[in-house]
Amino acid sequence: MSPREEKKTITYLYKFKFQDGREKKFEVVLDEATLELRREDPDPKPEWTKLKYSQCENCPLPDTVQYCPVAVSLAGLVEAFSDAVSYEAAEVTVETTQRTYFRKTTLQKGLSAIIGIYMSTSNCPVCDKLRPMTRFHLPFANSIETFFRSVSSYLTAQFLLMRQGHTPDWELNGLQEIYKEVNTVNKGMTARLHLATEKDANINAVVILHSFGDGITYFIESGLIDIEPMFDVFLQRNNTANPDKAR
Amino acid sequence: MNERILVVDDEESLRLSLKFKLKSAGFDVDTAIDGEEALDKLKVKPADVVLLDINMPRMSGIEALTIIRQTYPQTEAIMLTGFADFSTAIECLKIGAKDYLVKPVDTTELVTRLRSLVRSRSTEHALQEVHQEYLSFLSDELVDPLRKIETMLEQVSKLPGDAEKERKKLLTGARDLVGKLGSKLKLVADVAKRAEDTGASGSEDVSPTELTEKIREIRKGSAR
Repeated sequence: MSPREEKKTITYLYKFKFQDGREKKFEVVLDEATLELRREDPDPKPEWTKLKYSQCENCPLPDTVQYCPVAVSLAGLVEAFSDAVSYEAAEVTVETTQRTYFRKTTLQKGLSAIIGIYMSTSNCPVCDKLRPMTRFHLPFANSIETFFRSVSSYLTAQFLLMRQGHTPDWELNGLQEIYKEVNTVNKGMTARLHLATEKDANINAVVILHSFGDGITYFIESGLIDIEPMFDVFLQRNNTANPDKAR
Repeated sequence: MNERILVVDDEESLRLSLKFKLKSAGFDVDTAIDGEEALDKLKVKPADVVLLDINMPRMSGIEALTIIRQTYPQTEAIMLTGFADFSTAIECLKIGAKDYLVKPVDTTELVTRLRSLVRSRSTEHALQEVHQEYLSFLSDELVDPLRKIETMLEQVSKLPGDAEKERKKLLTGARDLVGKLGSKLKLVADVAKRAEDTGASGSEDVSPTELTEKIREIRKGSAR
């Protein structure tokens, strides 16, 4: 690959190292501009990747599409960890062009991060809305970090919409709606994975993504109260301008 | 007081999302990262219901369930699993879990199940209380007076022919006891009828707690 072509992609290299010495590597390559996954489809594609095979309730894809794009993207990963248990200890290293992340964690946590990228970059019409977040992918993120990235990404989209003359959704209602739909996909994907795996590692990785989706609803409904104190520097300045509020 | 729920899962995001949801549904929620921490927390503060993940490091959900059912029989358990497995579900139910849910859990459904479990638990406790109160009532208010009457009648039968004064005294005592018994039985029948009537008329049923109170009132002699 020429240096010029290299600039056009973003790569996340996930390395899993287990206590018994086994190692597995997965490279996720995205188009730098569109953040679309550059994948090599398995040949033949597994039966469980067919669109009609436990299709998500809210899937908008037409019958002419033969395979579920997310399932096809996940096929290699799912097969590699089909017989793995969720809480198996693993040393996970994630290499990007800018930095390297390392954490001793559980397999499910490592898998959840990589599955999250696959789901939002595979051209699933429902998960597409989360694609901008993959540019700022944060491996092993906890709930608050993920909520913050989601809200930030959504608010950026609203700002851009506003600049184009549209009405922005500063209340984050649309973000809750996005996660409701994405969680229907997460649920559909776990049903699909039940048919494709022998143990719970892959499934629980998607369950973690589902729980982020569940959690963000309450995060938004609470008025982002968990992170509000971090913004005191802005809020106090405004309150000083309005003495009634400052009291 | 809110019902206390202990969420036990090794994954932080799952604990947090369940905690958010259950708290907003009005439950008092605590979390534990595995079975061992759950047992430590139960030692300090008991829970009404434990939500237990099955696959966890250190101590599995099934091991924790076994200990919880033995040590804290008042604490109910609902099992959570990522991988649906019929034989594991049966095993959990045999050990004493009340339910077995496959993740991702529909939180609305979970709240409904928890409320139903909590309701049936309190109904069960209230029924146990009625049962105890009723047994005490039978023993103290019916069986004991009947024994006294029996003793009095036996004494009457053994009196010499000329002990008229003593015979009269004993018979009067027995008659008084019969009268008291009759009025207590009438009150019990009245409470039972009212309970039946409210049920039949479609109005709110007399609750086990109200029945317990009624029986207590009858025992005190203050029921109407």
